[in-house]
Amino acid sequence: MATKRRNLFLYLTLACFFGLIAIFIVDGYMGIYDTVYITAGEREQKIEPDTWQRQDKFWSAGVNRGEKVFFRYEVANRQFSSYTADIEVSAWRMQEKVRDLAAEPIAIAAFDEGQVEWVIDATELLPEDIPPEQSYEFTVIIKRGEIERNIIVRINPVPYQVKPAPVPPR
Amino acid sequence: MKLDYVLFGFGILFCLSGVGYLAAQYVQFLSEAGKLLSLLLTVGMFAFLSKYFEDIGW
Repeated sequence: MATKRRNLFLYLTLACFFGLIAIFIVDGYMGIYDTVYITAGEREQKIEPDTWQRQDKFWSAGVNRGEKVFFRYEVANRQFSSYTADIEVSAWRMQEKVRDLAAEPIAIAAFDEGQVEWVIDATELLPEDIPPEQSYEFTVIIKRGEIERNIIVRINPVPYQVKPAPVPPR
Repeated sequence: MKLDYVLFGFGILFCLSGVGYLAAQYVQFLSEAGKLLSLLLTVGMFAFLSKYFEDIGW
């Protein structure tokens, strides 16, 4: 009787352990995961999938005037079935769409990855009436089916340059 | 004989650190419900293991 009871505790321990492993596999690994890579200047930023799961709805990136921002949106399909979705990327400012940046369907086989790339030219999105010493922000919205990812891109102002004082005439 | 126990100890430590590392990597991808369930199962696992060791006279 004591041996049976002892074994029961051991089996329950093992059941809990395998339950944990199962949760990590099913809930932690399986699913659709998207990663965004933003390259501005000489720096690459990586937005990990858990960023969106932490309810951080916005991510910000900065770019200097006259430069370009390179985006790479990677979708990992960790499922036993293939995955298809329409990817729509657009730039928004003050709740209004400024420009469509990319739109293409992706079809990813089971346990494979797909990616969409696009480039934003900071000069093209910057209105002409913005003075050089003022920064400018817009939001890049990535739509994958019902899921939406928001990235705020900040166009940095031109650094203030001190003008040398004119030399008074003698 | 003593060397065997030292090696067993190292083996157990490496296993635990490996499982701990993988758990730390994947716990960030778990949903809130998954995290809660994992916590409950971890508590249950240690509780049952303690009862098992208690029964064998440790």
